[in-house]
Amino acid sequence: MKRKVKVDYARWIFVLPAMIIVGALLIYPIFSSLYYSMTTKHLIRPMYDFVGLANYQDVLTDPDFFKAFFHSIIWTIASLAGQIFIGFTAALCVNRVRHLKGVYRTLMIIPWAFPSIVIALSWKWILNGVSGFIPNMLVQLGICNELPQFLSDSSIVFLTLVMINIWFGAPMIMINVLSALQTIPQDQYEAAQIDGASKGQQFLHITFPHIKVVVGLLVVLRTIWIFNNFDIIYLLTGGGPADKTMTVPIYAYNMGWGTKMLGKSSAVTILLLMFLLLVCFIYFAIIAKWEKEEK
Amino acid sequence: MKKKLAMVLVGTMLMTSLLAGCGSKGEGTNNGGNDGELSGEITFWHSFTQGPRLESIQATADKFMEEHPDVKINIETFSWADFYTKWTTGLASGNVPDMSTALPGHVVEMMDAGAIVPLDDLIDDIGRDKFSEKALSEGEQDEACYSIPLYSHAQVMWYRKDLLSAAGLEVPVTWEEFAKAAKALTKDGVYGCSFPCGSGDMMATRFLNYYVSSAGESLLTEDLQANITSDAAIDGINFWVDIYKNCSPKDSVNYVTLDQANLYYQGKTAFDFNSGFQISGVATNSPNLVDQIDCAPLPKIHEDDPDYGAETSNIPMVVWQNSEHPEICKAFMKELYEPETYTEFLMATPVGMLPSITGISDTEEYQANETVQKYAHAEEVITKTMDLGTAIGFEHGPSVQAGLLTSQSVIENMFQRILVNGEDVEKAAQEAEDELNELFSTIQ
Repeated sequence: MKRKVKVDYARWIFVLPAMIIVGALLIYPIFSSLYYSMTTKHLIRPMYDFVGLANYQDVLTDPDFFKAFFHSIIWTIASLAGQIFIGFTAALCVNRVRHLKGVYRTLMIIPWAFPSIVIALSWKWILNGVSGFIPNMLVQLGICNELPQFLSDSSIVFLTLVMINIWFGAPMIMINVLSALQTIPQDQYEAAQIDGASKGQQFLHITFPHIKVVVGLLVVLRTIWIFNNFDIIYLLTGGGPADKTMTVPIYAYNMGWGTKMLGKSSAVTILLLMFLLLVCFIYFAIIAKWEKEEK
Repeated sequence: MKKKLAMVLVGTMLMTSLLAGCGSKGEGTNNGGNDGELSGEITFWHSFTQGPRLESIQATADKFMEEHPDVKINIETFSWADFYTKWTTGLASGNVPDMSTALPGHVVEMMDAGAIVPLDDLIDDIGRDKFSEKALSEGEQDEACYSIPLYSHAQVMWYRKDLLSAAGLEVPVTWEEFAKAAKALTKDGVYGCSFPCGSGDMMATRFLNYYVSSAGESLLTEDLQANITSDAAIDGINFWVDIYKNCSPKDSVNYVTLDQANLYYQGKTAFDFNSGFQISGVATNSPNLVDQIDCAPLPKIHEDDPDYGAETSNIPMVVWQNSEHPEICKAFMKELYEPETYTEFLMATPVGMLPSITGISDTEEYQANETVQKYAHAEEVITKTMDLGTAIGFEHGPSVQAGLLTSQSVIENMFQRILVNGEDVEKAAQEAEDELNELFSTIQ
């Protein structure tokens, strides 16, 4: 005799809205990009042809793509290292503050709270090579003989952008690290002090093990965000001068919205996605190892 | 029985929907009711982001909606740079307005994509003979006019009278005199002339086009190929590289339209190239300089060369193919050309926006404007230049290639490579020409 299996549709009804939204906002764009990357899709013209992997071949033989890719790697590593160093240091400092901790925390989060367009335009104004506050101040203080051109001098423009990005992103690291620091039981430090552990040993054996998973996750998130960052660079230099600050997202934008070759632009974004997935895979493997060690 | 019941239900539903459809048509969601009254909602995208122009358009729309109570006009504004992204992406997703302003280069791309409708009936209604033939031809394809010029202006040379006079210099007539004067005036925190070549804009293309036009040439050949390696173009590139090195702020390698204009507005440059929009910019930013600015025709290569116009802009309006109410768009456009409304619109930026139709500039109302009177010489120079020029690359007629010439920043990137990387001028020009021709080949 067959047993009648009762299907519970209620759970499907509850998850269906979320599945539809995820499908529409995540899965559809990825698969449509994947499809378009193999076509001659143009932004304006309705007709296009299937060309297989030709767009990938074009992109991977374009020296400008590799130049942009190299810039993206340097941009990500330098910005991430700077943000973690400043954010971590600021979190350790604020964690030791006894009075007005909330005020300091609020003040330090300000750069993160502003929209990036406001930040980009403010820095553009502050660093303006004719009337900018910082270049004029440096000349008046006698530090520079002539107005430094932070956004057009090819030798310093990339560094300038990295510094702005560090200033922008460090508060987010600070807040997350600070939250993690506040979960560390104080009695572990007291026990370590009784055992005669130095400050360095306390940091290495108590503080760092407690927060390393949080920092690891932050590194994953920030790597993706920084690598994909478009607005600050685009608004400050547009990838110039002479492509000195051209990163992969700007390269893809110019391809899709400048030349309107959406097919090629999609190929660039798919390559970008594959690279970031690989990076995330490595990061998550390391974090999983840390978590295993903790257990 | 059940089958019969279902058939009756479906039949009833079909009939109801048909009747509802008839009813709604009669109630005016379409062109208008039986009395011909306009009815419906339209969206108008325009790029008049500055206060007075924005207010003037809004006031006309409000008046139009008052006269036609069943019409609703939604106005959305975008800067020119955003506008291009907005309509190109909008076209792909079907999210375009009913009517909009445009740049002549955009119109060609819009026509090429079949995105806009002909406006000959509207042009005839207003009076075809009132418009300049050249301006109308910028939106022409297969003997139909797809755009209607709203206002016009031309690029001329702006200078500071006080600085020239203090240095004992005359207003330059040739490029050589211009370079000499610009270099002489680069002192005491003032730059002779800023040379802008920021990517994402067309300023360097515009500046190179001045020089190439003065040699009687174009940045496009007759068969619509890029023409960046001609003798005139190479001389032009060298000329502007020299100006950048000797008279321009180094930051101008990243400058776009507003950065460039701001320097002149703030009195930090002695020369600049622009239309009559310089006047309102200076009046807003440096009211103390309004008596010290004037304009002259673009410099020539030789003093006895004929007068020329390098770039005339006839800023048009278009009606989009997707519009459900082209009749409302056309009626509203017609309203914008009513003499009183039109004059009021032009007076939002006097001398900046010059009339695209005859019979306006000589009216008492137009001439009564204080700025028009004060800058009568400037208006005369611009109007004269306007008749001599076309949009960049339109010397051989409207083409998609002309649009690509200005929208891809290829010439801007070329200048950046020369100025920042020290790349050889002829090599960079050849690379830019090849890059443009490759882009042109994608539209064949």
